[in-house]
Amino acid sequence: MTDKNEAFTLFLQKANKKWDSLAIWQPLIIAISLIIILAITHVVYWETNTETNPVKIWNEQQLTKNNETWNLEFNKDVGDSIVFKGVLTTSPRSETYKTDIITGKYSEGEGLVYSDDLHGKTMLNVDGMRILVNGNLTGKYFVSEIIIIEAHLIQNTSYFEKNGENITLIREGWEANPEDIKLASGIDYYFFGIECLILFAGFYLSLNRIENLKFHIYCAWHIAKFELGQGIKSPRMIVLSAFFTLFIVGMGWLLGDLQSGNADSTFFVANPNGALQQLCFFTFFVVSLAAIGVSVDSFHKERQANTLNMLLARPISRETIVLGKALGLTLVVGIPAFLAQVIGLSLMIKTGDLPTTSGILAFFVCGQIMIFTMICFQLCFAVSARSGTDVVIYGLGMWLLFAVVWNLLIYAISFVIGVDLTANNFENDPQFQAIASHLGMLNPGYVYQFAVGLLTHRTLAIDLEGIPGWLVLLALVLWPLTCLRLSTWLFKREMKG
Amino acid sequence: MTKPLLELKNVQMKYRRYRFGRVIKEFKALDKLSLSVGKGQIFGFLGPNGAGKTTTIKCLTGILDCDDGDIYISGKNIKTEAFNIKNIIGFLPEQVGLYGRLTPMETLEFYGGFYNINKKELENKSEKLLKTLGLAKEANRPVNEFSLGMKKRLALASALLHEPDILILDEPTSGLDPRGVKALRSVLLDLNSKGLTILLSSHVLSEIQEICTHVGIINNGKLIRQENISKIIDEVNKTDIKLSLRVKGLNENNLEQLENKKGIEIVRKTKIKKHTLLLLKLKEKLIPWVTDKLVSENVKIYSIEPQKTSLEDVFLKETEVSEND
Repeated sequence: MTDKNEAFTLFLQKANKKWDSLAIWQPLIIAISLIIILAITHVVYWETNTETNPVKIWNEQQLTKNNETWNLEFNKDVGDSIVFKGVLTTSPRSETYKTDIITGKYSEGEGLVYSDDLHGKTMLNVDGMRILVNGNLTGKYFVSEIIIIEAHLIQNTSYFEKNGENITLIREGWEANPEDIKLASGIDYYFFGIECLILFAGFYLSLNRIENLKFHIYCAWHIAKFELGQGIKSPRMIVLSAFFTLFIVGMGWLLGDLQSGNADSTFFVANPNGALQQLCFFTFFVVSLAAIGVSVDSFHKERQANTLNMLLARPISRETIVLGKALGLTLVVGIPAFLAQVIGLSLMIKTGDLPTTSGILAFFVCGQIMIFTMICFQLCFAVSARSGTDVVIYGLGMWLLFAVVWNLLIYAISFVIGVDLTANNFENDPQFQAIASHLGMLNPGYVYQFAVGLLTHRTLAIDLEGIPGWLVLLALVLWPLTCLRLSTWLFKREMKG
Repeated sequence: MTKPLLELKNVQMKYRRYRFGRVIKEFKALDKLSLSVGKGQIFGFLGPNGAGKTTTIKCLTGILDCDDGDIYISGKNIKTEAFNIKNIIGFLPEQVGLYGRLTPMETLEFYGGFYNINKKELENKSEKLLKTLGLAKEANRPVNEFSLGMKKRLALASALLHEPDILILDEPTSGLDPRGVKALRSVLLDLNSKGLTILLSSHVLSEIQEICTHVGIINNGKLIRQENISKIIDEVNKTDIKLSLRVKGLNENNLEQLENKKGIEIVRKTKIKKHTLLLLKLKEKLIPWVTDKLVSENVKIYSIEPQKTSLEDVFLKETEVSEND
C-alpha cells in the first residue's frame, strides 16, 4: 500500500514537473483539452438529437405479400417524425422525378409506385435511406453534402400491375418538405466557431508567454528575408522555377481545353471545379519537387560552411532559426509558384469555364500552405542529413513517395483488403475510395487537393468518401504545424540546444 | 576578490549518438568543469586536442546546452537568460563560416540584424569596424574572394558589432600567417585595453604566454589548473633550468666538484672528439658559479646555452600528470 502511495506521489511529482516545464504552452494545452471536450459534445449533440444511422431505419422495413395486397411497413408508427443526419449519396439533380418516369411501376429500391403526382418531387438518398421530398431540390443540394432532414412516416395506398395481377400496395414511407432540410454545417459552424476561438485564444495566450516574442518574430523574418534573397537567385531555384512554371501553365491550358472536349473521352474534364482539383495535383507534383529541392540540404549546407555556429551564437532561439528558414524557403518556392499558378489558372479559365471563387482562393492559399508543409517536412530530414548522399536520398525519396509511389500504395492496400482492381471502374468502388481518401490524409498533396475540392463547395458539411470536410481542414492546419514542431525538436536535439 | 564576469560551475556535457530516438553511443566531453574569468582579463584556454576546449566554448556561447552544472556570465545563468547573455557575448569560431555571396557590409547587416541596433547605427558601426580591421577597401567584394585572414577579421567584426562585454575566440590564429597573427594580436590587445574581457583557446602556447593575463589548462574535460600568467612565469623562473655546455679539458676532478655542489645535477655527459658536451640541471643563479669554477680550473668553454622552462613545459607536465591520473 505504501509502495503504491509512493509510486503515486512520484508520478504526481513527475507530472507536476512536466507541467511546469511546459509553462509557455499551458494555455494552448488547456485550449486543446477544451476543444476535445467540445468535439465530444458536438458528437453527442448529433447522436442525441438526430438519427445518424438512417440506413438502419431503412433496413428495418418489411414487405409482406398477402395475395394481391402488399404491405410495406417500418418499425415506427405512422405520423412519427425523425430528424435524420447523413450524406447525400446521390445528387438530388438525378433523383428528381421528371415526366419521363413510367407510371404504374413499382420500384422496390425506392419503396413506392411511380405515379404522375411524383413529378417535380425528389427521392433523396441519405446514406442509403430513401426520403421523398415534396419539391425539386435540383441546384439546392448536391451529392456528398451532409444534411439534416426532418421526415415523417406516412401511409398511403397505391396500385400497380405485376405479372397480370393487380396489386394493392399499402405502403409506409418517409416524406419531408424542402423547408425541413438543412445543411449540417448550420449547427457545425457554431461548434467550429467556438473551437476556433478557443484555439486562437490558447495560441494567443501561449505566444504572449514567450519572452521577447516580437523580437523573435522580427529575427525569424530577418532570416526568412535572407533565405529568400539567397535562395531565389540560386541556379537550382531558377531551373526548378522554369520547370514548374512551364508544367503548371501547360497543364492549366490543357485542363481548360479538355472541358470543351468530347464527353466520352478518357481525358474529358466535366467542370471547372474538377479541372481546378486536377490542376492542384499537377501543381503539387512539380512544386513539391522544388520545395524539397531547395530545403533538403539547408542545414547540411550550413554545417559544411560552418555558418550554423555563427548563427547559433546570436541571441535567437533554435525555434526562430527553423521558423525563419521554413518561412524563407516557402517564399523562395512560393513566389514563383504563385506566379505560375496565376498564369496557369488564367489560361485554364480562358480556354474553359470559371471555377468558384472560394476554389480559386483555396487553390492559391492552400498551395502556399502545402509548400510550407513540404518544406517543414523536408527540414526534418535536412536536420539529420550528414552527407550529400543523405541529402539526395532523403529529398528524392520523399518526393517519389508523396508524388509518385502514393497511388501504388493505395492500390497495394486496396488489393490486400480485397478490392477487385481488375474490375471496370474500380476507382468508383466505395471501398477503394474510402482507402484512397483515408490514406490521402497522410499525404500533404492529397490534403491540398481535398481542401481545394472542399472549399469549391458552398459548405464545409461535405463528406469526402468517409472523410468529413472539417477533418480535411484540420489536416490542413495540423500538417504544417506538426512538421514545423517536429523539425524544431529534431534541430534542437541535433544541436543539443 | 571581485565577482567573476564568467563562471563555470561543475559543467558536464556528453555527446550522444542516436538511432531511432535511442542513444547508442555517448562520450563525456566535459567532466564537472569549473573555471572563472574576471573582468578585463585575457584568459588563455589551453589543452591538448580533444580536451574539451571547443565544447566549453560552445556551451559558453549557447551553441550547445550543457547537461549539468551552471554557466554564469555577468551573474546571469545561461540556462534561464540565454537571450540576455548572448547579447553580451561576441564569438569567433575556429572555422569561420560566412556566406560567400555576401559582401562584408551585407554580412555585417545580416548578423547585426539579430541585435537591437537601428539600421543607421548598424551601418556606421559596420563601416567603423571594417576600417579598424583593415577591410574598408574590400567592403563591396564578395566574401568568397577573401583570404582566410580577411574572413577571420570579418567574423571578428561581426562578433564586435554589438559591443559585447566578453569576446570568446576559439583558436583565433589557426590558419593565419605570421603577419595575420601579429595583426590579430595587436587588435585583441587594443580591445582589451579598452576594457573588453577576452577568452581564447589556443594550441600556440607562445601566443598565450605573450598576450594572456590568465591561463586555464584543461584535459579530458576537467580543469587541471587555472592561474595568473605572471604566477606561472614566476614559478617557471623558480624551477631548475637546464644548462648545455661544450667544453675542452674537463677532467674527473672537475666533474666531482660540480656534482658535489648543492643544487647542481649532471644530467648527461657526452664526449665528442676533444670536446665534452655537458647537460646540467641547476638553479639559474648558479650559472656564474659554474662558469667561474670551470674557468679557474683551466677548462675552456666553447659554448654555453641555458634552456629555460617554458609555458609549454608546464602545459605538457600538467597534462601528462592528469593523463596518468
